[in-house]
Amino acid sequence: MFRFILFRLLRWLPGVIVLLLIIYALMFYGGGDPIQIMFSREATDLFQPGNPRYEALKEKLGLNRPFLVQFGDYVWKAFQGDLGLSLSDGRPVSASIGAALPITVSIALAATAIIAIVGIPLGVIAALNQNHWPDNLILSSALFFWGIPTFVMAPLLMVLLCLQFPILPVPHGWSGVFTLNAIIPLSVAAIRPMALVIRQARSAVLDVLSEDYIRTARAKGLPEWVTITKHALRPVLTPVVTQMGVVMTNLLAGSLLLEIVFGIPGIGRLIRDGILNSDYSLLLGCTLVVLALVTLTNLLVDITYPILDPRLRQAQRGEE
Amino acid sequence: MPTSSTVDLKLASEGAAKHEKAIGIWRDSFNRLLKNKMAVVSMVVVLILFFFAIFGPYLTPYDFLKQDLSIRSLPPSVEHWLGTDYLGRDVLSRVIYGARTATLVSLLVVVLSSLIGVIVGSISGYFGGKVDFFLMWFTDLNMAFPNLVLGVVLSVSLRPPLSRWMEQMYLSSLNPVFRQSSLLDLALVVAVIVLVAWCPYARLLRSQVMAVRNYNYVLAARALGLPTFTIVTKYIIPNAIGPVIVQMSAGMGSAMLTESALSFLGIGINPPIPSWGNMINEGLRQWTSAPHLLAAPALVLGLMTVAFSFLGDGLNDALNPRQWKG
Repeated sequence: MFRFILFRLLRWLPGVIVLLLIIYALMFYGGGDPIQIMFSREATDLFQPGNPRYEALKEKLGLNRPFLVQFGDYVWKAFQGDLGLSLSDGRPVSASIGAALPITVSIALAATAIIAIVGIPLGVIAALNQNHWPDNLILSSALFFWGIPTFVMAPLLMVLLCLQFPILPVPHGWSGVFTLNAIIPLSVAAIRPMALVIRQARSAVLDVLSEDYIRTARAKGLPEWVTITKHALRPVLTPVVTQMGVVMTNLLAGSLLLEIVFGIPGIGRLIRDGILNSDYSLLLGCTLVVLALVTLTNLLVDITYPILDPRLRQAQRGEE
Repeated sequence: MPTSSTVDLKLASEGAAKHEKAIGIWRDSFNRLLKNKMAVVSMVVVLILFFFAIFGPYLTPYDFLKQDLSIRSLPPSVEHWLGTDYLGRDVLSRVIYGARTATLVSLLVVVLSSLIGVIVGSISGYFGGKVDFFLMWFTDLNMAFPNLVLGVVLSVSLRPPLSRWMEQMYLSSLNPVFRQSSLLDLALVVAVIVLVAWCPYARLLRSQVMAVRNYNYVLAARALGLPTFTIVTKYIIPNAIGPVIVQMSAGMGSAMLTESALSFLGIGINPPIPSWGNMINEGLRQWTSAPHLLAAPALVLGLMTVAFSFLGDGLNDALNPRQWKG
């Protein structure tokens, strides 16, 4: 098992490092001079190129070193949890991210739970009523909500539920997953990626229902609900789980926009602050964290699905 | 060994058969598309969008830039159907002009990204081997991470060099076009979205090319000694392009979505040029006192992205009927 995880990690790690290299290079060559951004508020010539204080600071921060050395240093320190200093307020980036990350992750996890609890049954119902009205209704509403961008849905729901029909408090800030404030953000976060799970669950059930062993179960006279719950549902989980990587990418992208709409102090807010202040080190840190979260999800998916599907355990042994 | 003329004859008859069949498939698909009510409605919505994008500036009741501080943030009225924004500009005119921004950006993105995708995908699919491995590894990587985050990184870090370049172009040519910040925004937003959006096209075309390249008529063309470039452009790509058209409809919707998301974040199309994204962002500042500023662009943008998603789905069902309706 350990070797298998290592193997999967090796599949993802080079890609992440190459992507990080590209992003680092973009910011390094395109972003502008970090020292000038740091002191952009102070209208002084002291921190212009050529000035001895500027050169001294550059030397001290290690910005004189070659690109690849700086990149290597950044990656090495990032593994130890040090993401450098913010260019706008001089605080460690890792501290800001440490405060914001739990919020974004809890939104993502809660939304994932909602997606699984609501999405999988909906997919199953759709498949069992294939081409009848429940199926059509579920599929077209999934497609409908998939089409609506997060930052359209969020403000519209806010106007509708807090202003037109004031049944919920205005969600602003974040006080935990199990509060009234979290209802609108969480449902907006969950509803778009849910379409992916519904489709996947539906087609998985349809595939399973045409298998021979389902016909056998029906032929030996099992009640339909036993056939479904006992024989058809378990293999449905595997394709749904493999979809979680895509769901996570969509959840994270959605949650960034969501946090801005609702003033939730998560990673999305940090990215917005980074954009506003051209704070490249903060942006780089946030991007790194998002890449890490997506990679981690994909890794977990890779590890989980052989557990769910015994046929894949054989393949895994073959790989080792 | 057949002489070249018999091969030509065979090719010609094969080509004719293919041609006839192709018309049949297209007409059949179109009929299937017309049966899908949601897709037809979406098609109408998209056509209305194109209409407003082309003729919008002649239809707007007011100039979308004209400010009148005496009528700030008014609710909808007879003079201003959708009210006015915080600078007293007519919201209806701005929403209509936003259609032009959205359409221009997404059309450019779809054309450019499908072009790149077709080139990369056909190289990857036809040659295979290491090139293919590397390209597919890269597109996998690109598709595994949130487009929006990559888009933010790209647009934040490409803006300074691009604006420096435009300033230089202005100094060397003195052409005032290079001083327009709206042109900079447009170029940047299109470039950024193309850079994150070409991968699905490449993957799609690659799988198509891999299927087509082993067909007999391609083998025949190779046996005739035609140059690889001719084989790929003349015989392979036209037969592999179908699914790319489906992807273009979905891609148009998602390009529109990414453009407005970037504008919403303040790194896409910047005010005063209206984009639905930056209008939503501006509306969010005073959503309790003037919710129409938020609702108008949000509803229109939502309608458009939903329409593209239903149209893409309808096209998919029509062109690949076996795929997901089970």
